Amino acid sequence: MKLGINTEIALTYMVSRRKQTIVAALGVTFGISMFIFMNSLITGTNEWSEEIMLSSTPHIRLYNDNKMNDADMLNKYEGSKTINLISNPQLVQSNNNITNPDAVMKQLQQQNEITAMSKQVSSNVIYSNSNAQENGNVFGVNIREQDKMFDITSTLISGNIQALINNPNGIIIGIGLSKKLNLNKGDYITLATANGSTKRLEIVGVFKTTIKGVDNTKSYVNIPVVQQLLQKDRSYITDIYINIKNYNKTEAIAQHIAKQTGYTTETWQSTNEQSIAGKKIRDIIANSVVITILIVAGFGIYNILNMVIYEKIKEIAILKATGFQGADVVSIFIRQALFIGILGALAGLLFGWLISLAVSKMYIGLGNVTYLPMAFKTTHYIQGALFGIVTAFFAGYIPAVKASKVDPVQIIRG
Amino acid sequence: MSNIALKANHINKYFLTPEKFQVLNEVSFEINKGEFVSVIGKSGCGKSTMLYILSTMDTDYEGTLALNGETVTGKKQNELAAFRNEHLGFVFQFHYLLPDFTCLKNVMIPALRLGKLSYQEIEHNAYEKLKKLGVAEQALKPASQISGGQQQRVAIARALINEPAIIMGDEPTGNLDSKNTAIVFDIFKQLANEHDKTIITVTHDNDFAAKSDRVIEMLDGKIIKQ
Repeated sequence: MKLGINTEIALTYMVSRRKQTIVAALGVTFGISMFIFMNSLITGTNEWSEEIMLSSTPHIRLYNDNKMNDADMLNKYEGSKTINLISNPQLVQSNNNITNPDAVMKQLQQQNEITAMSKQVSSNVIYSNSNAQENGNVFGVNIREQDKMFDITSTLISGNIQALINNPNGIIIGIGLSKKLNLNKGDYITLATANGSTKRLEIVGVFKTTIKGVDNTKSYVNIPVVQQLLQKDRSYITDIYINIKNYNKTEAIAQHIAKQTGYTTETWQSTNEQSIAGKKIRDIIANSVVITILIVAGFGIYNILNMVIYEKIKEIAILKATGFQGADVVSIFIRQALFIGILGALAGLLFGWLISLAVSKMYIGLGNVTYLPMAFKTTHYIQGALFGIVTAFFAGYIPAVKASKVDPVQIIRG
Repeated sequence: MSNIALKANHINKYFLTPEKFQVLNEVSFEINKGEFVSVIGKSGCGKSTMLYILSTMDTDYEGTLALNGETVTGKKQNELAAFRNEHLGFVFQFHYLLPDFTCLKNVMIPALRLGKLSYQEIEHNAYEKLKKLGVAEQALKPASQISGGQQQRVAIARALINEPAIIMGDEPTGNLDSKNTAIVFDIFKQLANEHDKTIITVTHDNDFAAKSDRVIEMLDGKIIKQ
């Protein structure tokens, strides 16, 4: 029994007004559980959509973009005695390939943020089987590197990646293309490019990502196949895909790589800007709902404490008469608010977890979403508890200060 | 140490609403330690107003006030609260006990606030006070569930818990029947005579006043007899 007298009074007031206390705490409980539920759902959804994006986009793409012509060469030739300007500069026609890609990769390998790299050469093609034709993109890749980056193995519904390595004229196609052209593993498919070259390849695998755009158009072949289709040499590589340790911190590394290699870099965030915008909007919606609920809960506490103070005004006066200072009165009612907040927050954490758990068992079954994506993160629970308690504190502070200003003479004399 | 418990010096007090009105006019008097003083006068003569100034709760006045040899005029609210806690006891017309607490806890609260003794010692003292006032059997009942006379005695016990030098009463018997009034009077008398407490009560009850050691009579904000 080593509670301070202020705590004891606060607790007694709470217990003697059990119903009001429970109602006020329920407000907080509801706010916190919604906070946790919304955050878990939004985070789950964000993680899911990031996963989808990153299943086909590398963290950083390194490629050779057309460049505006600049005065560099002129400066070298003329020296710095004159100011060299190019009027009406044009894009310089280039091959768009990365010169000596293996050397570039070796150089990049030394950065320890980089976890995986994959060379690419791609081309627009027309897939055909007898009379049926489909447009698409063929990607010449080192399938092992690519598998490490995008986990192609897990999407394969027939065949395996080793078959592509073993068969220089093999191809792995998407399930959409397989259905449209009525082709399965072991069948042959014809690829034709705009410049007239064609290739006949054996299907060694079929993948299913559940993203229609990918399943209907994408295919993987060995690098030389695309080089031949494009009538280019064996070192013709257009892109290097790079994955790094923390995919949220692409910007600085991308800039560094661009500077180091002299090529253009594109991060997955800029490739998927509309999805990132979607994530931001979801966050805003969730936060505004949660803040609204917490404010309502705060008003609940405020209201109930105001009522308690109105009822107890004579008792507050007598406490002050017998020597309780303004700060003691504030402390009593803030404690009461905090107890309500803590009580409500604890119940809210449990309730929020239960709702999240229940909803995560909800079957959706559209595309690659089987169950509603939910994230269970400790930070959400810690934040939730903190927000609840802080709300309770502020909701209690105003009535508490009001109570501390009670003039005992006025109240006792009536 | 002097023998004066209370010294009021030229106290003036004005009410500003509805219009400026002088409630207390040059009130000066002294009360000795161990004196049992009754303040009487017609309604509106300013006797309650004076008592609340003496109690340090009302600080809006002119003049000076010293309690227990200490000048309290001009002290800050928090200092005054601490002073009341330690040196003053109050008994009001209504008991103003906290109904959510037991009688014992009600008595203990001012001592717990003072925090000079341990919880066990305070509990023991509170129980002793209740015993002395004859309400020990009610100690563990909620304050709202005992009779009016008993409530007033618990309130007196609460006023005594910190062993204050001065006890102030605002119509302490105003709500009691004659039997309980007699009990309360005897308690006050005993406190003044045997325990050397100074007692100042405002009362309408002339019989009550007549039996006390000294009567201060007020009229229109002035002391006319002391």
